[in-house]
Amino acid sequence: MPALMTQSLREYRRTLIGWTVGISAFLSLYMGIYGNIKKSPEVYGPAALAKFPGALRDLMGGLADITSGAGYLQSVVYQLFVPMLFIACAWGLGNRAIAQPEESGLLELTVTLPIDRVRVLLQRFTAAVIGLLAAAAATYGVALAIATSVGMGVSAARILAAHTGVFLLALFFGTLTLAIGAATGRRGLASAVTATWVVTGYAVVTVGQSVSAISWLKWVSPFYYYLDGKPIYQGVPVGDYLVLVGATAVLLLTAALAFDRRDVGV
Amino acid sequence: MNGMTAVVEAEGLTKFYGRRRGLEDLDLTIQPGEVFGYLGPNGSGKTTTIRLLLDVIRPTRGRVTVLGSDPGDAAVRARVGYLPGELALAGRERAGQYLRFLGDARGGVAQARIDELAERLEADLSVPMGKLSKGNKQKVGLIQAFMHRPEFLILDEPTSGLDPLVQQEFLAMVREVRADGRTVLMSSHVLAEVEHVSDRVGIVRSGRLVAVEEVAALREKAVRRVELHFDAPVPAEAFEGLPGVRDLRVAGASVTCTIDGRPDALIKAAARFTVVHLVSAEPDLEEIFLTYYSGEEERHARADDAESA
Repeated sequence: MPALMTQSLREYRRTLIGWTVGISAFLSLYMGIYGNIKKSPEVYGPAALAKFPGALRDLMGGLADITSGAGYLQSVVYQLFVPMLFIACAWGLGNRAIAQPEESGLLELTVTLPIDRVRVLLQRFTAAVIGLLAAAAATYGVALAIATSVGMGVSAARILAAHTGVFLLALFFGTLTLAIGAATGRRGLASAVTATWVVTGYAVVTVGQSVSAISWLKWVSPFYYYLDGKPIYQGVPVGDYLVLVGATAVLLLTAALAFDRRDVGV
Repeated sequence: MNGMTAVVEAEGLTKFYGRRRGLEDLDLTIQPGEVFGYLGPNGSGKTTTIRLLLDVIRPTRGRVTVLGSDPGDAAVRARVGYLPGELALAGRERAGQYLRFLGDARGGVAQARIDELAERLEADLSVPMGKLSKGNKQKVGLIQAFMHRPEFLILDEPTSGLDPLVQQEFLAMVREVRADGRTVLMSSHVLAEVEHVSDRVGIVRSGRLVAVEEVAALREKAVRRVELHFDAPVPAEAFEGLPGVRDLRVAGASVTCTIDGRPDALIKAAARFTVVHLVSAEPDLEEIFLTYYSGEEERHARADDAESA
């Protein structure tokens, strides 16, 4: 492995361990609760859910059928919370790759090493992908173990399909943060654009779906390509996931070209 | 020149940050084996020049080569050592670990070499980088700049934050580099810091290189202040009109003056009386230099006026 990639992984290590522990704790807690729901479905059945305001139910992806294992996983775990936690982790990595060390002056020596700019960016990116993949693999293991122990009745392949989607979605937003940081060197700007796209992107595919004037916006929401295929129920939506992969590749290319041309640390 | 490739060759090198001038029309050649002192106040363009040489920033116009290559050629940077003016080191990582990474990225540096430099500069490499004092950060910066024995060392304000003993050790390291036939560009805002190791010095001000001079030539131009005390009052006429003697003041038994070049005439005139005390101040090169380049600036200002007229 190139020295810069190893070094980048060392830099990301602490934050990655933190997020992996946090997401695992979240999974243990929320998936553990399913044990209670399974035992007393009448408390959490449709009648109980009807008490939630409609908009809130929309925001949670409809909250249909949370008493089944698949329904619970899709609505409570993979709808909002796990994707958002992973996106936050990837957003942090995206900033750590270029903009954050550039603003603190740490990138100055890195770009004067005998490594050309495009390689600097690609090696920082690859280290982040490896880190995010490790966090996804570890949390998939946790999710699978708990799903089995509480008897969710969802196959390992379906959980993997959802987890893969979370990884690709987070990777997209992490690469977006990286690209804006690489093009401008501004961490605040990169964070603001990413946060805005995350929040509006999620809103248009949930509450926005009932508003016809903005429902077309779902096409530019990465969440659409993750949620629409319902991976917990239907397995990997290959086409949708490829859209995420392709969009990420475009962002990465943009990041590399922009960073190669730019003055660093001015 | 003698078939040797210049280490730095800049022609019309210019950098604007938006409309703000960072550096304008720099023409500079640095030859192999030379130690070049690059002087100027903060914000004058020293760091801009250095960052252009390392491809951290790109010129607005003009051209520059480093060791015969375009600075954008990554391979050439393995032959360069760089100490940034504002060195940032942070985090929980130990300084030693970070140095090993930099060494690996530059093609490998023996641990013994890192340890040897750490010992010379008395740097503790087991400290997490975020906890290093300013002086210790600077030592780590110097170690990484010197450790791979680069052909060309670019040091931006290398002595800032170093205590006097470490400064002496650093200057010894620079002399060793020169003795090896390698090249150094070091910036400073005071001449005194670089005059003892530099072969040539250049002064940059408001983005323009206003003077380049050999340190030896500067010494010859040096004006020296001399004070003589005698055992009895001396006649002023005995010292008037001596070649090279200026600002003469004779008061009772003491004579003060400044001399250009050789002190011979003054010494011979003084020898006729009984000298009880002689004080000769080290010439202040900086003062000469400053007078010299403030004159240059005036000329520039006049030229600018003429242009706009």
